[in-house]
Amino acid sequence: MAIDSGTKATGTEFSSEIPVELLGESGKLAAGAGPYRLAWRRLRRNRAALAFGGLFLLILLLCLLAPVYAHDIAHTGPDDNHITETVKVGGKVRDVVNAIGLPIGPTWHSRFFLGADSNGRDVAVRLLYGGRNSLEVGTVATLITMVLATIIGVLAGYSRGLVDGLLTRALDVIWAYPVVILGVALGAILAVSGIDLGIVKVRGSSLMVPAVVIGIVYVPYVAKPIRGQVLGLREREFIDAARVQGQSSLRIMFSELLPNVGSTVIVFVPLMLANAVLLEAGLSYLGAGVQPPNPSWGTMISDGISSIPAAIHLVLVPGIMLVLAVLSINVFGDGVRDALDPRAKIRIGR
Amino acid sequence: MRKLRLVGTLGSILVLALSVSACGKSTKVGGTVTVLFGTAPDSLDPGMAYTTQALEPDQTAYIPMTTYAHVAGVEGGKLIPGLATALPTISADGKTYTMTMRPGLVFSNGRPVKASNFTYGIERALKIPWGGSSFITANIVGAEAYASGKAKTISGITANDATGQITIKLIAPYGAFDNVLAFPSFAPVPKGTPFKNEPTNPPPGVGPYKITRIVPNVSYQVVRNPYWAKEAIPGIPSGSVDRVIAKISSNTTANALSVLGNSADVFDFADTIPPSILSQVPSRASGRYEKVIKNSTYYFFLNTKTKPFSSELARQAVIVGLDRNAIARLGSGFFTPACYLLPPGIVGHPTSPCPYGDPTKPDLAKAKALVKQSGMAGTPVTVWGEMRSPRRQFVDYYTSFLNQIGFKATEKIIADATYFPTIGNLKLNPQTGFADWNEDFPNPIDFYGILIAGDAILPTNNQNFSQVNDPVINAKVNMLGSLYKVPTSSLKSVESQWQALDEYNAKKAYTAVYGYASFPKLTSNRLDFNAATLHTVFGWDWLTFKLK
Repeated sequence: MAIDSGTKATGTEFSSEIPVELLGESGKLAAGAGPYRLAWRRLRRNRAALAFGGLFLLILLLCLLAPVYAHDIAHTGPDDNHITETVKVGGKVRDVVNAIGLPIGPTWHSRFFLGADSNGRDVAVRLLYGGRNSLEVGTVATLITMVLATIIGVLAGYSRGLVDGLLTRALDVIWAYPVVILGVALGAILAVSGIDLGIVKVRGSSLMVPAVVIGIVYVPYVAKPIRGQVLGLREREFIDAARVQGQSSLRIMFSELLPNVGSTVIVFVPLMLANAVLLEAGLSYLGAGVQPPNPSWGTMISDGISSIPAAIHLVLVPGIMLVLAVLSINVFGDGVRDALDPRAKIRIGR
Repeated sequence: MRKLRLVGTLGSILVLALSVSACGKSTKVGGTVTVLFGTAPDSLDPGMAYTTQALEPDQTAYIPMTTYAHVAGVEGGKLIPGLATALPTISADGKTYTMTMRPGLVFSNGRPVKASNFTYGIERALKIPWGGSSFITANIVGAEAYASGKAKTISGITANDATGQITIKLIAPYGAFDNVLAFPSFAPVPKGTPFKNEPTNPPPGVGPYKITRIVPNVSYQVVRNPYWAKEAIPGIPSGSVDRVIAKISSNTTANALSVLGNSADVFDFADTIPPSILSQVPSRASGRYEKVIKNSTYYFFLNTKTKPFSSELARQAVIVGLDRNAIARLGSGFFTPACYLLPPGIVGHPTSPCPYGDPTKPDLAKAKALVKQSGMAGTPVTVWGEMRSPRRQFVDYYTSFLNQIGFKATEKIIADATYFPTIGNLKLNPQTGFADWNEDFPNPIDFYGILIAGDAILPTNNQNFSQVNDPVINAKVNMLGSLYKVPTSSLKSVESQWQALDEYNAKKAYTAVYGYASFPKLTSNRLDFNAATLHTVFGWDWLTFKLK
């Protein structure tokens, strides 16, 4: 049976009763249901998590459809300047950007639906493209974090000794720096010089630069818990059995340990995605993330700061999108965590 | 008669008392003024300082041998003796400048100033190196050899500590050399000051104030120099306020609102008042706000040494298609569209129409055609820019425009304080980007000698970002610059020659000039607005600040 007996569980959330969601329609324990299937069942009953998951999917869908909106509805690209152009609103012709540089507010029409920024760029178009960029950076950064952290965590935890010492100290060095400061330092340098690893060359203006920076700075935050888990797992009987069978260390790590830390990794994914999207916004706001004129929610907020007294929508619109996106990922991530944790006592309304 | 006398005496006392009280109401001596900057100075060390944010405080603490009259308007461009007893005497061949250091001068640390401190200051500026080093190396005998380490001192400068006499020998006559001597970088510094930039611990100088409490990129203060009282140099005010606190914050909106709300006193003229609050400024700051025109040119440099702007047609495309009206709007209406490098206040500004048509009427179709014709379509271009608004927005627009006309442009935006040193590094070889020039002194050579002349191309701290090295321009600049018999006050006699040069430069499309700026003069209502001078050379003249 793939269900943990609960003997190692600690804390107040432990419940010795069989959770109702593990029971089938007849009220009996579902035969042959794997841990992920059971987790899915739990998740399906967490309506808040599903609602916010749906919201996140909606944001994602809208952002993915940015080119369609830009081409077929707004008829402008995210970086197209319309500073000296005019637009008809309510039968009146108005400047997109007036003589002293104030941009037009929301028109609620296809053109400049959410208004323009100081460069006469369509805010709605940039919002969607900015979302694409923010989510792309966040996703790639999360992938980098998870892959590196899993490799380092498993390797350090299983090897112990010198390898563990070296890897753990390296993680400590990264951990010693506040995330934002380290991100700004790396981001600012790489934004100018780009990344040149011989075979791999990335221009400073590429979205991959902030993605790599964010991906790296978060590695210790995931690698350390995984290492801790592996340290415990490597002393378990099934690892001893694998060793006795003559399996190599590499094989043990990949075929025995990795599947057992899988749920931890999955739980971390939404958490890191939310953090990565937030850090990307922070770095972009500070000029060390997504490089202009590429939009991101962070750069849009930064661009709009000086216009707050007269054009607050320039800050509000990307700010609200950022909050909604991060909130939806976090609430959904909580749901996933609860669903994957067999010891969690989930309140389920039947 | 006696009674009358008594009445007369009482009357006199009353009049005196009233006038003293009236004086007390209009201005007061002492107090603290707070200046808000959107950008940090490049360095407060006079051996390095070259941005307006640095020169403003340095003018109060490092008075050079010659300086400018502390008055508003064009009269502010008039040279007066600084630490020298009189303006330099120039030899008949225009190659030898002689002047004498005032006797009894002391640095702000109490040590006496000697003539040789002048030489030391120049040698130090050359070794750091200061951004205007080409003024020294290109003009003073032996300066180039000293800069390259081939000589132990600058052979062209002799200083006699006993008499205070200083003699400078020039390689060739240079008409604006008097103006060059007025840079704070030419001010004497004590011997033993390290030959390196000291941004947080600038050396002692001679001036009404000294710079102290420097927190890099955050704040610094200028306070009275206790030794200044003894100096009393005619024409140089001793300053009315006891202390000026300079605060640096990139949020220019907050800066402007602070000054509007009287919680700070001075808005830096080099910052732009954001459009979001510009409309409320005239009403909220009635009597303490005006637009002031200073000689400055804003442009995008076009690197003539590398693709795509090594092609004249590609450069023309930029000039033809650039929407200067759009840029004027981005600049909150503080820009006048233009095409010539020399601004209207500088002798030599052409009166002829722009060579590529009306600068307010961009021709995008022609620009696209020119890019195609140049064979540079699709060439990747990196556009360099500063973070601060509206310069970032200028570059955003420019990048979009370059993409529109057929290039493949991306941006590189870097921190304001490091922008010019970064793009001034020849190894980087930047293709194009934002540039501006505020006059160092009212002479066209200040624009051409630094921004366009071939010998101004330096390996570091280069200001000739377009890397123009045109023999026609070089010859003309050398000839016009060497007209030692034509001091600044008589430049009009060679106006047509400067005009012809500026027209030639515009025709060759070496720089994409887009406008001349006016600047906001905005103060709190605590400050005497009329007394506070936005000086043609210094920027804000801190020595004229008076509290009401």
